[in-house]
Amino acid sequence: MKSRTKKILLYSTAVVLLLLAGGGYYISKEFNRRNKDTSLIKADYTLASSVLVSEFERNDSLASVKYMDKVIDVNGSVKEIARDEKGYITIVLGDSVQRSSVRCSLDSNHHSEANLVRQGGAVRIKGICSGFNKEELLGSDVVLVRCVLSTPKK
Amino acid sequence: MWSLFDVYYQPLKNKFKNKFMKKYSLLILVLLVINSVFGQVYFTKSGKIDFDATSSSSPDRIEGRNRTAVCVLDTKTGSLQFSVLMKGFEFEKALMQEHFNENYVESSKFNKSEFKGSVADNDKIDYTKEGKYKVTVKGMLTIHGETKEVKTEGEMKVKDGKIKLEADFRVELADYKISIPGLVADKINKTARIEVDCSLELFKN
Repeated sequence: MKSRTKKILLYSTAVVLLLLAGGGYYISKEFNRRNKDTSLIKADYTLASSVLVSEFERNDSLASVKYMDKVIDVNGSVKEIARDEKGYITIVLGDSVQRSSVRCSLDSNHHSEANLVRQGGAVRIKGICSGFNKEELLGSDVVLVRCVLSTPKK
Repeated sequence: MWSLFDVYYQPLKNKFKNKFMKKYSLLILVLLVINSVFGQVYFTKSGKIDFDATSSSSPDRIEGRNRTAVCVLDTKTGSLQFSVLMKGFEFEKALMQEHFNENYVESSKFNKSEFKGSVADNDKIDYTKEGKYKVTVKGMLTIHGETKEVKTEGEMKVKDGKIKLEADFRVELADYKISIPGLVADKINKTARIEVDCSLELFKN
C-alpha cells in the first residue's frame, strides 16, 4: 500500500473515531441532562401575583399561551407556607381575602430558602408556570413549579 | 360538582312567593349550603401523584412526581375528584420530562388529567372518628383526552381533623392512546403505576 493511501486511511479512521466519540459524548450528555436550576435561568416575565392571577381568570387560554412553560418572577404577599410530612414546601402568594392565588412548589434543592419567608411578608419567587387550576369554590390558582426565592425578604 | 348552586337555588327561589322571602332566599341558600355541604368538604391543592413506567430493561427509573394535584372529597356523599396539571410532573432527567410532555401525554394539548368518582363504601367510614379504613374508589379517569373507568383499593386515615388518602393503581397506556415509539418500546413499561398520596383538610368558607 502506498504511503498516501495509508495516510488517507489513517486520517479517515481518526475522523470517524472522533465523530463517534463526539456523538457518544453528546448522546450521553443529552440523556443525563438535568433540569437547569431555576435560579440560573433569566425570567421571561416579572410581575405581581395579583396581575398573573387576574390574567388567567380573565382568559385562561390566552394566558396559557403567554405563560405556560415560561420562567416567571412573581412578587406578592405570602398567604401560606404549606409543608407536608415528606418535607415538600409550597409557598402560596396572594391577597388573604381572595381565594385565588399563585401556588409556588419549591425546588427540593432550595427548601432551606423557605426559612427566609414569613406569612404576610413580601417575597419574590421565580418558577416555571405549569398551568392554571380553575376552581370556583376553592379558588383558582396559577401553579409554578421548581421555584426558588428570587430575592428573599423578611 | 359545583353546580350545587343551581340545584339548591332555583327550587328555593320558586318556593318562596312573598317578596321578603324572595329577597332573602339567596342568603338562606348560602346558609343552607354552608351547613349542609361545606361542613363535609375536604380538599388539598398540594396532593402528590407519582407516575412510574419503569420496565425491567429501562436503563433508568422512568418516574415523574407531581406535588400540585387538587383533590376534593365530599364526606357526605363520598364524591371524590382529582385534577392534575400534566406540566407539573417533574422527572429526574430533563429529556425524560420533555419526551413525557411532548411525545407521550402531549401536555400542551391535554394539560390536565382528571378523576371523577366516589368512595364506594363511604357509609362504612366514620369521618368523625380517628382511624384507618380500607376503601374502594371507582370512577372515570381522563388522561390524554381519553376517559376510562377505573376501580382501585386504597386507604383512608382520619387523624387530627384531616383525611389522608393513599392509593396505588395501574393504568394501561394504550387505553389512553399513549403510544410508545418502537425504538424505546422495551424501555418503557406499557402499564404505568400511579401512586396517590393526599392529605385533605376541611374546607372552611
